[in-house]
Amino acid sequence: MLEGGRIGARQAVFLMVSMVLPTAFLFVASVTSHLARQDGWISILLATLAALLIARLAVSLSLRFPGKTLFQFTEEILGRWPGKAVTLLYIWWYIHMNAEIVRQFGSFVVSAFMPETPIIFIELLITAIAAYAVRNGLEVFTRVNEIVLPLILGSVVIIIFLVTPEMNMKNLLPVFEYGAVPVIKGAVMPAAWMGEIVTMAVLIPYLSRAEEAHRIAAAATLITGFFLAVTQVIDIAIFGPEITAGWLFPALNEIRMIHLANYLERLEAIQMGIWVAGGLVKICVFYWAAALGSAQWLELKDYKPLVLPLGAILLAMSITLHDSILDLFDFLGRYWGPYALTIFIAGIPLLLLAVAAARGRGGSPG
Amino acid sequence: MKKVLAFLALLVIGAGIMSGCWSRKELNELAIVLGVGVDRTPDDQVQLTLQLARPSAFVGGGEARGREPATWVVSETGKTVLDAQRKLALRISRNIYWSHCVIAVVGEDAARSGIRRYISFFAQAPQPRETMWFLVARGKAGDILESRSILEKTSAQDIGFLARARTGYSVNFKDFLVMLATKGSNPIAARVEIIGRGVVPGAPAMEKSVEEEGPALTGTAVFRGETLAGWLDESETRGLLWLRGEVLKGIISIPSPAEPGKEMSIDIIRGRTIVKPRYDGESVWFDVEIIVEGDLLEQQSKDELPEREALEAIERAMAGEVEKKARLALEKAQAEFGADLFDFGVAFHRKYPKKWKEIKDRWNELFAGAEVRFSVEAHLRRSGLIAKRLTPRE
Amino acid sequence: MVRFIKPFKAGLPGRRKPAAGQGGGPGEHREGDVFAGRGIQDRELSPDLEINLLMMKTVFSECSDAIFREFYFAGDERIKLAIVYMDGMADKIQITAQIMRSLMLDAPLVEQDEELTRARALTTIKKLLPIQHIEETNNLGKAVDAVLSGDTVLFVDGHASAIINASRGWEGRNVEESQTELAVRGPREAFVETIRVNLSLLRRKIKSPDLKIEMMKLGRVTKTDVAVVYIKGIVNDKLVAEVKERLGRIEIDAVLETGYIEELIEDSPWSPFSTVYHTERPDKVAAQLLEGRAAILMDGTPYALTVPVFFVEAIQNPEDYYERSVYSSAVRLVRLISLVISLLGPSLYIAIVTYHQEMLPTALLLSLAAQREAVPFPALVEAVVMEFAFEILREAGIRLPRQVGQAVSIVGALIIGEAAVRAGIIAASTVIVVALTGIASFTFYYSASVSIRFLRFPMMVLAGTLGLYGVICGVLTILTHLATLRSFGYPYLFPVAPFSAGDMKDVVVRAPWWVMLRRPRLIGKTDPRREAAGLEPSPPPDGRKR
Repeated sequence: MLEGGRIGARQAVFLMVSMVLPTAFLFVASVTSHLARQDGWISILLATLAALLIARLAVSLSLRFPGKTLFQFTEEILGRWPGKAVTLLYIWWYIHMNAEIVRQFGSFVVSAFMPETPIIFIELLITAIAAYAVRNGLEVFTRVNEIVLPLILGSVVIIIFLVTPEMNMKNLLPVFEYGAVPVIKGAVMPAAWMGEIVTMAVLIPYLSRAEEAHRIAAAATLITGFFLAVTQVIDIAIFGPEITAGWLFPALNEIRMIHLANYLERLEAIQMGIWVAGGLVKICVFYWAAALGSAQWLELKDYKPLVLPLGAILLAMSITLHDSILDLFDFLGRYWGPYALTIFIAGIPLLLLAVAAARGRGGSPG
Repeated sequence: MKKVLAFLALLVIGAGIMSGCWSRKELNELAIVLGVGVDRTPDDQVQLTLQLARPSAFVGGGEARGREPATWVVSETGKTVLDAQRKLALRISRNIYWSHCVIAVVGEDAARSGIRRYISFFAQAPQPRETMWFLVARGKAGDILESRSILEKTSAQDIGFLARARTGYSVNFKDFLVMLATKGSNPIAARVEIIGRGVVPGAPAMEKSVEEEGPALTGTAVFRGETLAGWLDESETRGLLWLRGEVLKGIISIPSPAEPGKEMSIDIIRGRTIVKPRYDGESVWFDVEIIVEGDLLEQQSKDELPEREALEAIERAMAGEVEKKARLALEKAQAEFGADLFDFGVAFHRKYPKKWKEIKDRWNELFAGAEVRFSVEAHLRRSGLIAKRLTPRE
Repeated sequence: MVRFIKPFKAGLPGRRKPAAGQGGGPGEHREGDVFAGRGIQDRELSPDLEINLLMMKTVFSECSDAIFREFYFAGDERIKLAIVYMDGMADKIQITAQIMRSLMLDAPLVEQDEELTRARALTTIKKLLPIQHIEETNNLGKAVDAVLSGDTVLFVDGHASAIINASRGWEGRNVEESQTELAVRGPREAFVETIRVNLSLLRRKIKSPDLKIEMMKLGRVTKTDVAVVYIKGIVNDKLVAEVKERLGRIEIDAVLETGYIEELIEDSPWSPFSTVYHTERPDKVAAQLLEGRAAILMDGTPYALTVPVFFVEAIQNPEDYYERSVYSSAVRLVRLISLVISLLGPSLYIAIVTYHQEMLPTALLLSLAAQREAVPFPALVEAVVMEFAFEILREAGIRLPRQVGQAVSIVGALIIGEAAVRAGIIAASTVIVVALTGIASFTFYYSASVSIRFLRFPMMVLAGTLGLYGVICGVLTILTHLATLRSFGYPYLFPVAPFSAGDMKDVVVRAPWWVMLRRPRLIGKTDPRREAAGLEPSPPPDGRKR
């Protein structure tokens, strides 16, 4: 069997939350404040709404083809060769996205904590752990996530409490100062991140009960959106819109501000913990999707042998794609959102759904 | 195949480990910066002064504390802060480590010439923390750092504790940056200078007591945009704090209503300030409400306290004093500095965002001409441990 | 197969034939071979007493503790009997009083026809033996095994069957308090080296006929008795089948300790974590059986194995269930924190002191910096050396004779620690960290603490090279590894992952007994309920005092 693992509903929700939240938590405030200023939290709410729609779309599409992943039913809808072409696009997307993520991951660790260390070693270590987990199957990194995500969410909640004295809620006013357009523009990036929920289309066949997929996707999106919105609010409340837009990693600066009873301070290691653990799971999910997809595309019996070569490709790409962290963030800020959204998150699934409906492929939606 | 892969993996990992660890900083390779001062030299260069900790003086308990100096102060000039740091590194045997820097002091000259040039390093570099206290020195920042502390081991820590106590207006670096970046607000920072600070009685071996000089926070530095505009002294700072609605604490003295020659001191415990901007299409004005609560802690007169009229008289006197101080600060800000120190602009922005867009670039002038109406309410809550006066009735 | 020494062949006593081409095995034909080419397992007894005795003597040649005693039934020389037993393993009193006395002295003489008497000797004897357990066999191998187990084999001339009389009795350790698994409250009995005694300890705790004990022998040469114990109706039958199957696959010369079995049946032999639990306390084994696990006991060692095991059991201890719930929960929390400290203590210290000094409060930083001024080594080297010294101390402390032990621990602790600090070789803070970590590792289950102590060293290296990032990556790697482990098919991280809310009540806290209504979900599926509901004690409803 290609992937024998089965995961339950709660595990799936955790997995989908980890896919977006721990890394987005770190810099969402910066990205949205740049465009939407103090209304960033509204952007996030908009993005959540959009993500819910995307989730609905992806799951409905998947449920028409029970037991088949995105990579498999694409061929069924479009025919063998067009299907394979589209599948290849998705595999490319996953690999590309993962390379960006790995690079981003390393960049944070290096910039904030260990500037002299070459980024390749940071990336190598985390990719190696991810490879180990992915090689052992879906259930393994799901289980790790089950332990890690509650710790991450707990830490975030504690941080929120600790940082309250520094918050000045008036910084969120005035609302809609510049009108709705910047708010919508600010929603693009978060929507692109939360839209990664489209990965449900790869995950659904491995749920122990597929009919829960809609609820899983919705729950994950809402939880992610909630935490991102709260983070956004907090960062603005502490720093105000101008400064928040200036920081690269506002949540880090937020944590640095924690200062309680003249003793409890300097907690940014928690941020590193959140980042590394959450980042690992995120890398695992897309790594797994890419491996699984490649195996299904090549019609192999098992994806395990592909894990190591994919890892090497990931590392190589992550180094060569960008010269500097500024280039990375520029690319992510300006191009990633529209690129991911229009093609992979919304565009192709819509297309697939339309064609499937038109050609009458697949069973009725679950 | 497996063996080859395993071997390669080991090689890579081994190489990584053995080639050395790049970001490693052993504790005794660090020059820990406790305080930093930035000055402007006569030829418009940046003078960087660092107060470094000498760890051997910090040996923990048990042994008697030696009078060994706990710090080392070094100074160097360069085109930018980093340039000066580079030159300093030639003289310092260890890596300069900023993460524990408690205070950042900017000299008066530097502040008057535009502060951005001197602080950009501290905002961008990862090591210096946003929580460090930001102060402006009267005179040269370097002198402040070279001072000694009596109660604490280092003057940087001393100043840090002073700032934390918030007797004046203490600003940390993040607050300063936010104020600098926000239109409608002008930055302020605490003022630090060297003054005489009491006497250390002489040890038997010495003949006389030694008069000590040390740093103290004596007021507030006021900026107009990026440049230093002037100072507020301690009592004006009090007014400033009350107008800003922060840290409504402090001691005020009022003449006793019953015996005008004698004074009473009231400790303000808490309060609130509400600033309401008003705009009628043409002119801008503000309604400011201040509510304070205090304890009566010292009384030179023989007033009877629990009587209602006496209490109300005291409360009126309190309110009057608060308003007087607030007005003092306000007038100085409007007349002398022409700068909005109280975030009135921010309040205006929140209430009238559309109008704000038009006027925000002229805000300081508008502020200087705006009328401000006060309404102050004071409450006397407690009187320490005494309900009646101390001296007997005559 | 046992190698046979050629009977009656001259040669130095005890000299064995060289191996090549002459190894013993079934079907090997040797000259003068009494066994006619067949191994003793296949050989049957002969009706002729002399031949039987000859075969037995050949098997037990040069075994000076195998005793052969020939005698007559009731003194009648027509009926020859012989017993074979092992001196030291058979209870001599039983032999003399029960077997020999009843057959020699107390046997009634019945005047009968000689042939009949001889023919019916076996049945008559069986009626006359006041032994609590006898078996009959006509297989030489079984007879040999019986003698080797301490039973007495009785041969009757004229019959091809022998009677095996249970007569085991030897010097063994008394049931004492466990030396390694201590508790303040609770039974103090620990298993001993005799399997029957151990099984009886279990049987006394679980007086149910559903407690099944299946015996087998493992080890070609040692032929050790091994028992698989489980409670039918609670345990998952597939688990028992799997256990028996894995045990059945073991082909080894010797099984001297359950550790041998453990290594040969565990799921992940290369993992630092043990997926088979071992203990020498019967109360632990009993509790585990009652949760639906299976146990493996072995003759010759007090350590019993139980499967499956979950990682969270590292912080569990039977005493938790005897003391009150609130207290036990607090103690479990201490153990959990100790587990974390034990793994991460030195690593975090190294990481923070070397890479992340910004995390320390300034005052602490300055104090540490003052200490480290004097010290020549980097923190990583110091910590590794100290940890290693601690491990040496620990190991030496176990091996030392009791009298010397006290002195050495004092020497170790004081001299090495204190003197090293004074001499300026080690910083005091490092000693504190290492000592605390070391002590912490003894609060929880020993086998887990061994695994974690072992993992501490790679973690320290990671901390020394990549700081906190290295530590976090190390932890994640360990977590991932744990997530891949299975113990006899059950996920090792249950009930944390896959999460089972109902079972979390016994993980970090110990819920009171009136909450523990169900057995752990995965292993107790066959019979989930173990308790009636609503047992929480409360005052009488209408407030009247009794």
